[in-house]
Amino acid sequence: MKITVTVNDQVYIRDAAPSKNLLHFLREDVGLTGTKEGCGAGECGACTVIMDGKSVNACLVLAPEADGAVIRTVEGEAVMGELSDVQQKFMEHHAVQCGFCTPGMLMSIRDLLQRTPKPSEHQIKEAIEGNFCRCTGYQQIIEAVLDVTGQLTKDNKGELRHV
Amino acid sequence: MLCEFDYLAPLNLPELFDALAAGGPDARILAGGTDLLVNVRAGLVTPKTVIDIKKIPGLQGLEYNEKTGLEIGAAVTVNQIAEDPRVQKNYSLLVACAESLASYQLRNRATVVGNIVNASPCADMAPALLCYEAQVVITSKQGSRTVPIREFFTGVKKTVLVPGELVEKILVPATYAGASGSYEKLKRIKGHDLGIVGVAMLKKDGLVRMAVSSAAPTPIIVKDCKASDSAEVLAKAALEAIKPIDDVRSSKEYREFMVQVYVKRLLERV
Amino acid sequence: MFDQIDRKDLKCVGHDVPRIDAIEKLTGEASYVSDMILPGMLHAQVKRSPHARARIVRIDTTKAAALPGVRSIVTGDELDYRVGLYVVDKYVLAKGEVRHYGEAVAAVAADTLTIAKEAVKLIEVEYEVLPAVLHPLDAINVDDPTTPKEGVPLVHPKLGEYDFVRAAFTPQPGTNVANYTKFRKGDIDKGFEEAEWIVERQYSNPSVQHVPMETHVAIVQWQAGDKITIWTSAQSPYAVRNLFCHSFKIPHKNVRVVIPYIGGGFGGKAGIGIEPLVACLSHKAGGRPVKLQASREEEFSLLPCRSALTYRIKTGVKKDGKIIAQKMTMYWDSGAYADYAVNVTRASGYSCTGPYEIPNAWVDAYTIYTNKPYGTAYRGFGHVEFSWGLERQMDLVAQTIGMDPLEFRRLNCLKPGSKTLTGEVITEHTGNVLKCLEEAARAIKYGTLTPEEEARQKTTGMRIGKSVAGLQKAPAMPPFTGSAVTLKMNEDGTVTANLSLTDMGQGTYTSVAQMIAERMHMPVSKVKIAFECDTDRDPYDWQTVASKGLLIAGNAAILATEDLLHKAYEMAGQILRAMPVDLDHDAEGVFVRHHTAKRVNFSEMSVGYAYPDGNGIGGPLVGVGRYIAQGLSHLDKATGQGNPALDWTYGAHGIVVEVNDQTGEYNVIQVSSVFDVGRAINPAEVRGQGIGGMIQGLGTACCEGYIYDKDGRLLNPNFTDNKIFTAMDIPEIIDSAVVETAQLDGPFGARGVGEHSMIGVCAALGNAIQQATGAELVHMPIRFEDVWRGINNKQPIDHWITKSPMGSCRSLPPEK
Repeated sequence: MKITVTVNDQVYIRDAAPSKNLLHFLREDVGLTGTKEGCGAGECGACTVIMDGKSVNACLVLAPEADGAVIRTVEGEAVMGELSDVQQKFMEHHAVQCGFCTPGMLMSIRDLLQRTPKPSEHQIKEAIEGNFCRCTGYQQIIEAVLDVTGQLTKDNKGELRHV
Repeated sequence: MLCEFDYLAPLNLPELFDALAAGGPDARILAGGTDLLVNVRAGLVTPKTVIDIKKIPGLQGLEYNEKTGLEIGAAVTVNQIAEDPRVQKNYSLLVACAESLASYQLRNRATVVGNIVNASPCADMAPALLCYEAQVVITSKQGSRTVPIREFFTGVKKTVLVPGELVEKILVPATYAGASGSYEKLKRIKGHDLGIVGVAMLKKDGLVRMAVSSAAPTPIIVKDCKASDSAEVLAKAALEAIKPIDDVRSSKEYREFMVQVYVKRLLERV
Repeated sequence: MFDQIDRKDLKCVGHDVPRIDAIEKLTGEASYVSDMILPGMLHAQVKRSPHARARIVRIDTTKAAALPGVRSIVTGDELDYRVGLYVVDKYVLAKGEVRHYGEAVAAVAADTLTIAKEAVKLIEVEYEVLPAVLHPLDAINVDDPTTPKEGVPLVHPKLGEYDFVRAAFTPQPGTNVANYTKFRKGDIDKGFEEAEWIVERQYSNPSVQHVPMETHVAIVQWQAGDKITIWTSAQSPYAVRNLFCHSFKIPHKNVRVVIPYIGGGFGGKAGIGIEPLVACLSHKAGGRPVKLQASREEEFSLLPCRSALTYRIKTGVKKDGKIIAQKMTMYWDSGAYADYAVNVTRASGYSCTGPYEIPNAWVDAYTIYTNKPYGTAYRGFGHVEFSWGLERQMDLVAQTIGMDPLEFRRLNCLKPGSKTLTGEVITEHTGNVLKCLEEAARAIKYGTLTPEEEARQKTTGMRIGKSVAGLQKAPAMPPFTGSAVTLKMNEDGTVTANLSLTDMGQGTYTSVAQMIAERMHMPVSKVKIAFECDTDRDPYDWQTVASKGLLIAGNAAILATEDLLHKAYEMAGQILRAMPVDLDHDAEGVFVRHHTAKRVNFSEMSVGYAYPDGNGIGGPLVGVGRYIAQGLSHLDKATGQGNPALDWTYGAHGIVVEVNDQTGEYNVIQVSSVFDVGRAINPAEVRGQGIGGMIQGLGTACCEGYIYDKDGRLLNPNFTDNKIFTAMDIPEIIDSAVVETAQLDGPFGARGVGEHSMIGVCAALGNAIQQATGAELVHMPIRFEDVWRGINNKQPIDHWITKSPMGSCRSLPPEK
């Protein structure tokens, strides 16, 4: 079937099997491999993209369901190599380790900030609760989001103490 | 995808029923996809045709009317319910159940109707709908019939639906609009999890109504109780209604215990 | 080396330098093997056994082979290759017999993944189901595991014929014991005689999964002339190459292993995995590259997990609180193959007395085969498992004699002059576990409830408990483990380092870059660590495991830098007509110390130096550094005495938990972790590893564990029922600190800390829950229901082999 999607402001027209999911469609047909597959069953969030303004697990959306949709993926965050505000803070706060959960995590956060420009710590945790990270333990990710929304103070800014 | 299938997106109900008929037993309806596509991947279901209902205008609506109550179209997502101010104001138990379901991304796709059609004993929307005495509007080529929610579930992942039928919408009457209600769901983690056991409680005008998920082959309604009943009486009523099992998530014993605990907690909160 | 430099005099080391590999991971440009597509690439799928133990009667691949698009199919009977790190016991595909649920019996490579999946369905396998042995205690003669037990099926009847590493392991043919390691220190009988109190308990930990976010994946191409290229998501390129070449009897130079970005490992990708099987598929498909990626469900059953452990600890203590004797018997459930489990047995054996001085100790540790998915390396290498029991035991012993558990630990912990289980003497440079314990205790305000905590108890009705647990680990590695690093000067004066230690997220590359930058007197922005590992290009590193990378590869990197500088100084000396001893360098180049205007830039020397008349001297500047562990030794097989430890990293976790003593529900309010890292090369990265490991540890305590039915089927091979912690589950307060007792032979005084943060957390939680409610929990995990059972003295649930037939409500029905 012919499927037309707008991904990060670029239009792509591709032919794909109707049973293909959006995750595989993006990775294989559109050629954007930033979005990852962690489980294929909607549990881990590694495949999170923003579709028509809502964060979704791309592994549970069929490519034909996305026909005509406007999609944002991690590849749309940086502009001409300039990191976005969230990416910059992720880097400053060491919120990336193996990097596999990072694209999906960034999309969940981008979606959160669209809805709630100054989220509380609890709201941040709720927004990324569907994004598994096995490496970081989430704390530095949360600090990055607090920082990008101007909410990091010396009280909630975590640091390694030297005894 | 493990299996290959055709995809159809009818634009109205007659087209939908024609597609269903043409597809026969190998056709499946696609709304949110959060149950169907998981089951397809696991090899539990192998459709040859998948029929997307989301392009049918009549199924998109989430309507509220003071007199008739809430109308939830088949394509309405769980997040739509959770984030709608009218639902938040009038059907707080629905919101409580909706917010407990899976993760935010999943709730953007999962539909309320899909949750009850999937008919898992753990279905999170069911306890609220049972408490509110929702009506399920089932439509086919032949016309519509309305089934009270408490008659809708017939077994584990089984409902009264017959081939060719679609749940068009769920009607939540105005009877209990504005009632106070809450949902306690036992999980293994604070993050998203299927319920090990879930208790919903609704209170209005001296009536206390409870429904339980994950403690019987279907979501279960407990017999009506009075607000003046003691916590012990309510807990006993809930215990009598459920038939929990031992499984990898919990023992029967703990489920029974926690149902009683939740009844008491909810009574204090609601 | 360079351990004596004060933090304030360091420009790069000791600072929060952003990760050098952050950008490409943030933009999604980093390429993982999962993302790779090669021309002509085929897709593979595996047919797996639905039985825990069965004879393969017949495999019919005719229908599968006839499916258009199928390019190769392999079954066990055509492959005669055996693999094994320490005990060579595993065929590439099950041959004649399947030994665990989920074991691969056949594999297919086809044009598309869909065709491959369809082909797998068409492969017909006839099994004769055999009785399986599932619990390690059922698999052995408990009275003397080295002797056979009547009537118990042998998972490996041919154990006596397998090759194995004789220096380290002792398999027991005729039994299900793959290895028996023992330690004898002092006089255990006399010790118990002198003890005034004796406490004995049995503990257990189930198997858990590493859950890397990227599942195992490999692409292999077996070309003419037996030239093989392996692209794999793995931790140790040289281990993959070495094991592969041994098994297939192919010269090392023919095999090239490439590892790009890795989506997490945690030990699960430490050795060799699916690469041999994929290679066979490629060979049979005429040399087409073949890609196999495990689904998440396969990650849980086809790929290995962490060995389960059942163990007994018997501790003898004197009235004054000093431990006089301890006997530990560990029954490691290796599953169907020995893989790393034999070494987990050995390595955790020598460390299992914990950071405590125990004058008389006796350890018997057995690696036991059972018919379940097998155990491999896992963060902590046995320490997370046994520290549960050990640190619980310390609290229970303290309770028995009426002593505060922290005071008990203070009294018994290792101090300078203490002797370890293997006879090593601790010095003031080894590390300071006492300081870690004290700091963890201080950070959680141990021993008291603050006014806020009192108020919280009143409002919630929950009870708050606090505990401090200690931990220690040394790298589990051969005593002669080494690494080499090369450092090249680029034409513009920047440098590029090559090493085959991998960075799977733990951040070592950034630390190595910082160390090179520090020695080169350059900003870290001028240092590149070539990210992809390639055995054709990068020099040897043993494996990226054991928290030894920072020390060994770090030292090698410093030595490479010294070598580069030495060569640069040699050239500069000629150019500047000065003696190398009078030279120094800055970020740009080399200059004469007492005539600073006389200088020559690195960029002028990088490819050799050219005089104005065209004469050339020197040559391309390449520094080579090699570092090998020094003075370590094997362990005596009879007594376990020896010097196995490269370095000891000590630590402690303090935990504050509130428990609902009616229901068993609990919330972790605070975790304060302290590690003696010698020197925190990159504090924010140390913090990241500290928190990440601690959360992984808490997660395994709260909600993780493999559950099998009575037939050995894994009931929870997916995220539906094998939960891991999400952002909602983390403690309210997470606090990380480091003590810095310099490691004299560590790079800038540093030691590793990658695994340590996961060790001891579970026990601290269990101790704190007991402190709050009296519930004595000895089995892991500790879910709410387990706490409830503990509080009410109800029978605990068997976590591993349940009589419950119900898995997820999405479970497949049993295959016929």
